Amino acid sequence: MTLLTVRDLRVDYFTTTRVIHAVRGASFDLAPAERVALVGESGSGKTTTALALMQMIDKPGRITGGNALLKGQDLLALDHEQMRRARLSRVAYIPQGAMNALNPVMRIRDQMLDGMADHGRRMGRAEARDFVAAALEGVGLPADVGTRYPHQLSGGMKQRACIAISIAMKPDLIIADEPTSALDVITQQQVMETLIAAQEQIGCGLLLIGHDMGLMAQATHRVIVMQDGLIAEDAPVDRIFTAPRHPYSRMLIESVPSLGDVPQDQVREPQKAGSAAVLAMPATGDAGPSELLRFDHVGKTFRGGFFGGGDVRALAPVSFALAADTPQIVSVVGQSGSGKTTLARLILGFESPSEGRILWRGQPVDAMGGRARAGYRQQVQAVFQDPYGSFNPFYQVDRTLKLPLVNFDIAAGTTDRRRRVEAACSAVGLNADEVLGRFPHELSGGQRQRLMVARALMIGPPLLVADEPVSMVDASLRMTILNNIRELKDQFGISVIYITHDLATAYHVSDYVLVMHQGRIVEAGPPRAVIKTPGHPYTRALVGAIPWPDPSRGWPPVGRSRAGWDAAPVIHGGYPGFVLESGLARAA
Amino acid sequence: MNYLIGLLRHVFMLLAVIWAAATLNFFLPQLAPKNPITEKLTVLGETSGISSAQIVELTAALNERFGLDRPIWERYLDYLGDIARFDFGQSISNYPARVSDLIAQAIPWTIGLMVSTTIISFVIGTLIGAWAAWRRDSVLLQAVSSMLMVFSAIPFYLIGLVLIYVFAVRLGWFPISGGYSIFSIPAPTWEFAREVLHHSVLPALSITIASIGIWAVGMRGMMVTVQGEDYMTFARARGLTNRRMFLNYGVRNAILPQVTALALFFGQIVTGAVLVEAVFGYPGMGLLLLSSITLFDYPTIYGIVFILIVTIAVSMLAVELIYPLLDPRVRR
Repeated sequence: MTLLTVRDLRVDYFTTTRVIHAVRGASFDLAPAERVALVGESGSGKTTTALALMQMIDKPGRITGGNALLKGQDLLALDHEQMRRARLSRVAYIPQGAMNALNPVMRIRDQMLDGMADHGRRMGRAEARDFVAAALEGVGLPADVGTRYPHQLSGGMKQRACIAISIAMKPDLIIADEPTSALDVITQQQVMETLIAAQEQIGCGLLLIGHDMGLMAQATHRVIVMQDGLIAEDAPVDRIFTAPRHPYSRMLIESVPSLGDVPQDQVREPQKAGSAAVLAMPATGDAGPSELLRFDHVGKTFRGGFFGGGDVRALAPVSFALAADTPQIVSVVGQSGSGKTTLARLILGFESPSEGRILWRGQPVDAMGGRARAGYRQQVQAVFQDPYGSFNPFYQVDRTLKLPLVNFDIAAGTTDRRRRVEAACSAVGLNADEVLGRFPHELSGGQRQRLMVARALMIGPPLLVADEPVSMVDASLRMTILNNIRELKDQFGISVIYITHDLATAYHVSDYVLVMHQGRIVEAGPPRAVIKTPGHPYTRALVGAIPWPDPSRGWPPVGRSRAGWDAAPVIHGGYPGFVLESGLARAA
Repeated sequence: MNYLIGLLRHVFMLLAVIWAAATLNFFLPQLAPKNPITEKLTVLGETSGISSAQIVELTAALNERFGLDRPIWERYLDYLGDIARFDFGQSISNYPARVSDLIAQAIPWTIGLMVSTTIISFVIGTLIGAWAAWRRDSVLLQAVSSMLMVFSAIPFYLIGLVLIYVFAVRLGWFPISGGYSIFSIPAPTWEFAREVLHHSVLPALSITIASIGIWAVGMRGMMVTVQGEDYMTFARARGLTNRRMFLNYGVRNAILPQVTALALFFGQIVTGAVLVEAVFGYPGMGLLLLSSITLFDYPTIYGIVFILIVTIAVSMLAVELIYPLLDPRVRR
């Protein structure tokens, strides 16, 4: 007895010049109450497959073959109105972009009730109120969320509200398209557990789409791996993680940055003598030439508006110093709102501190004049999260790459510039002939992001700020880009401030880790110490919520209580070249 | 409480904007090298043979009469006091009529014409724009919306001239110009109302034809953007009816910038469509403004511009107060 039987599903996109076969004959089953993962990288056809089940393929795409029997009825044979009625009542869809999936001008309650009204379930006032309250309670939200607007909810609450809205009519099948990809790990675990509990309570099937193998190991019974529109492997979760048969499955599993097996050459213990020496430095003394960057009790408070909205303390005063002669990678880990991006923007000079001083090679950044500031900008480079947004879409990538060479007067003459660009490309593992002369949209996300690293490399700054450089890149490329960043340090002596919400990648790439929560540093130390023996309750919750790509190692019960999260920070000692000094102990 | 503070702040801003604009309004014309009295008397001298000595004497007397001989700051303070009471003095070109009376006569014509045409073209244009974005496969809608786009590129007055030629001169269905027949006296009778309506058809039509396209183009663009939003995909995945998605999810969100534009548009209607009124000889604010400018009638220009400032400021205040009702995201 199966719930859903998909046979030979085909979806083609008819562009003006050619036909793209997005799904090329996918066949799979789903048992009642089963949770199945549909994984693959961008372009693998996983989302197209899911949308096809709801007949939501838009022109120029078309379902060109196959059928999908849900409880014996072919979803693909339904006419327009029948399909509309089947959505929500029989097949529920939880969208990827939970941040924007709700109508901003309607209350949550109304967005739940309007769908039901369109499926013939109209309710009186009192009945509707009780229904909404019960539905919200089912996903762990208080009843008064119903009367709120989407912008008044946090990301996790919005995703829960989406779940409550989607499953309000107790469907036979839930399709969830990367429902937690925009959330931090703690919220991700909470939302996934809510979704699983709701699914088990309804007793329906769940098709979970995503690319995070760790999450799938924790949340599903069976994994279907898709590649280039074909199903590469379909296996129970226990088997696929222990003995993947398809090389692509193996690659996906291996690309998850795990916390266990760090190669020996990456394990770096702090050198005690060095750290003791630098720790003894005066907190506010004049910086010697050996210091690259110093934060001297730097804090940032965003003032509220003229009326309404109070002040927001984005960063509690923090002091640290980065030595010039010892390049290192310092990770700043935290969820959205933790202050990590504010810290990055302060370093880049995009924000001015509201208290304290930032010193660059002993010079206060605020007091720098035009020339000095231009020099500072040249020496502190950035790689941002969105590699597409970092390029001007109307310029060939060469132009974007060569621009800093011209602006900062680094290379004279076309030949020299060309040579430098090519050298930088090969340093990040790109074939210059393949990428140069192309427009940004012609390159993959991974290529674009590696070009951004190459760009930073050409300028040869002493310091690079990388703000979530791999969060929008396919899993298989993440480690490659992170290794590129490591090479910046190892081969070219560039220090990196790596901003991320992902503790696992921080563990792999960095020499020193700062964990931030609500504008404060809560834990700091070498990655091994922070992740293997987290001392602060918040860090422990963060480490615990990381989904391991190992089904036998279950998710530990999520710590719903936030007890102790405002405890004093835990410092695991220093690292030569990076010193965290003071001003981080006070609770906000 | 917060709303009250916000309201007070907005009202304060309103007064500040009016004061600043009124001040500019006072000083800018003073920079012009022409004196209205000399202007008028020179014309008089050329046509009536009054001696230049008499003109000088007359100029001095009139300068005193209009207070133009006093220091500028004194006139500025008086000016502020006067405009606060909506007293703009006497018109120079229509002496001794009071400016406030001239405006009071002209303003109902303009408001009547502009408010009705603005609302009609907003509603029709917005609906057509929304539909054209929603049904991108409909050939008819695409044709209609591209045609409107072409019309919106033609200025009001040119459309007006064509309409006059076709419907007034050739077909004789409508009068060529004026707000009412020169033989009738304005009175609150059905007969007169019918006549006013008859006279307003062509000016109204020319404004409507030219501005529907602007609303349609704006709405279509916003609607296309909204259709790409995640909440539209989610709405579709929830099996909502097409009608609900169009109205509550599409139009409801896409119309927000249109409403802002509408309110700002309302702020400017007191000056009317100057050229349309000129083309149709329509007795509104536009025609009054035009004739005052050609005759350097400062008091009347001051008066009209001041009314314009006030209405623009008030409509901006209206945007500030109405917008939170439409968009919960800007509520505090």
